[in-house]
Amino acid sequence: MSGFSSLNTAVTGLAAAQRAMDIAGQNIVNANTPGYSRQRVQLAEVATATSSSLFTGGGTGVGGVTVTGVARIRDVFVEGARAAAGARQAALTSQTSALTGAQQLLAEPGDTGLQATMDAFYSSWHDLANNPTDVAAGSVVLQRGIAVTDQLHALANGIAGQWTTARDSLQDTLTQANQAASDLADVNSKIAAGLVAGRPVNELMDQRDQLARSLGTLIGGVATPGQDGQVSVSVNGVAIVAGATAQQFTLAGAATLGGAAADPPRLMWGTTTVPVDSGSAAGYLAVLGTDLPSLASTVDGVATSLKDIVNTVHATGFAKDGSPGGPFFAGTDALSMSVVPTSPDQLAITPTAGTIDGTVAMQIGDLSDDGVAETALGRPGPSAQWRDVTTLLGVRVQSLKNAGDVQDSVVAAADSAVEADSGVNLDEEMTNMLQYQRAYQSAARVVTTVDEMLDTLVNRTGLVGR
Amino acid sequence: MSIRITQQSISASTMRGLQANLSRMQDLQAQLSSGKRIAVASDDPSGTASAMTFRSQQAADEQYLRNIDQVSARLGVTDNTLTQLSDRLRGVRDLLVQAGNAGLGADSRNALAAQAAALKSEIVDLYNTTYLDRPVFGGTVPGQQAVDPTTGVYIGNDQSVQTRISRDATVRIDVKGSDVAADTTPALLDRIVADLGTTATIPSADFTDLDATLSKVMQALGDVGARASRVDSTKANVDSHRLDLVARISENEDVDLPQAIMNLQSQQVAYQSALGASAKILQTSLVDFLK
Repeated sequence: MSGFSSLNTAVTGLAAAQRAMDIAGQNIVNANTPGYSRQRVQLAEVATATSSSLFTGGGTGVGGVTVTGVARIRDVFVEGARAAAGARQAALTSQTSALTGAQQLLAEPGDTGLQATMDAFYSSWHDLANNPTDVAAGSVVLQRGIAVTDQLHALANGIAGQWTTARDSLQDTLTQANQAASDLADVNSKIAAGLVAGRPVNELMDQRDQLARSLGTLIGGVATPGQDGQVSVSVNGVAIVAGATAQQFTLAGAATLGGAAADPPRLMWGTTTVPVDSGSAAGYLAVLGTDLPSLASTVDGVATSLKDIVNTVHATGFAKDGSPGGPFFAGTDALSMSVVPTSPDQLAITPTAGTIDGTVAMQIGDLSDDGVAETALGRPGPSAQWRDVTTLLGVRVQSLKNAGDVQDSVVAAADSAVEADSGVNLDEEMTNMLQYQRAYQSAARVVTTVDEMLDTLVNRTGLVGR
Repeated sequence: MSIRITQQSISASTMRGLQANLSRMQDLQAQLSSGKRIAVASDDPSGTASAMTFRSQQAADEQYLRNIDQVSARLGVTDNTLTQLSDRLRGVRDLLVQAGNAGLGADSRNALAAQAAALKSEIVDLYNTTYLDRPVFGGTVPGQQAVDPTTGVYIGNDQSVQTRISRDATVRIDVKGSDVAADTTPALLDRIVADLGTTATIPSADFTDLDATLSKVMQALGDVGARASRVDSTKANVDSHRLDLVARISENEDVDLPQAIMNLQSQQVAYQSALGASAKILQTSLVDFLK
């Protein structure tokens, strides 16, 4: 033990305190940085080889302190739980928002929905029955019929529009995911290189975890830690990032609502279909492949039921010129529905040719009643079907919203677990700063003390009596 | 193990709480400003199904009431026509009775015959009464006449014309021509006019036939009156059903105002206290106390 080695010991203390202050500063300035994990200096005492001699003193083994590393505080399990919760939440959010838009299209319950339009259409037939020779009443029937077809067209177009919007959003999501995958692969390779070279990689690791998490939110990718601080991400077994290499997923399947039932949109890796079950993409895929096509087909069902039921009764009548009643509606689905008669004279409202009688018009008007419609059609009538469509979509959106609310609290819990682990507590950092400030001051005091000792030794020795 | 709390987690949970508070406020605000509890189907799917059914039934009821107004007007016209018809037929019968006076000369007889002929043309006109361009005694005949005014031949048919006046009921709105003797009366009246002008004693067949006609008309009048009263009682039923639906629609869809306002008030109190508490907690840190 020499006076000079004591100085060295104090210097290691100064350096360690300095480094610890740096880290506290880094933590404080990044307190609000998304994805930042708090860091801690890891200190270790340094022992010197114990050897004793006349000149080195008594081998006490005091070597000071050293910074062995800067630890990044992060729990992979907590982080994994948060990523899974976030991915599920993203799926629910995207599905809910697309279906909420579809629900707005229905405009039910209200005075402007298809139900009200159909009711007005049926009513106009009763008015015509009351006054079978009135051309104006006949024109009203034709106009109300056209109003029904217009509304069906608007619905079909609206649903197709929602579908296209959802597909665009899916394409956007996929582009972001592919970008995140190549960014992640890049960061992975930097981390590996940094670790080999012994450079600090904590900040890169924060980036890495952020990217892995966004892959979870976008396409439900699950991160697995690999060698050299790298993270691999796979979607239900299909790898999108493996170490420093990234794959690109593509979007396949129908590009319009029409083909969606036969050829649903899907994510592909080369020729393999990627089974996506969480993340925004999963929500969009459910909307594109199932929800909107089935909504469109039930609306088509309403349209064809209306066509069948009105045409069946209309065909039993005779027009003004005595010719048998032709179809009132034509078309095969909601989008192609149209009104066939062009003038009130073509409406077949009399049950016997050559008479003036509104009986058939009355029977068509009677179809507004669910019971009459079901008897005539052999299945629930268009109004009942339409109520079913509205109610089922309402139940779907409601249950998605409820599931979303539950998932929100799951995500909140997972977020606070991660935050509790990795977040920066400013009070704690302040305390640390004070603590290391004191350590620095004390170490400096050791330096001055040793200096005074040496001063005594160097300048005062052998000067007795001078 | 106590959970580690950070400034971020405090502010995150504060934001979550305030957001939840605000979103409940917004829901209540939307309900209060629109007055509707159900704006879209997902607000209450089963309530939506009821709302749609109720509205559909309401539309049907309104149509039934419109139909009933038409039926009432038409039956009123028919009733009025039948009353006039019976008056004219009684007039003819009076002439027949006058003709029984043995002291009448040929001029007087001719005058009676001329009066009868005038009444006959009035009666034929009454048989051709129309409502909204449709003959009320002509069934479903094309054209606007039940009896040919020149030949006096019945050209209508006996097809009934029905109108729906409620979900379960239709009512016949015309009167069969044969039920008011539209098919026989013109010929009978021609015969009576001829008898009045020529024969000294009126054959008793003229009286019996005319009485039979009159009784048919009176019977038809009673029938029309009965139908009108049935239509009136149906109207009362349909109207009360419609009003009931209005109440049920409101009950189903409309916001319970006192409750919504109460909820909004308590929500506001909750929001303000959340804001106050957050402001206090978020302001302080160790920095405030270090020198």
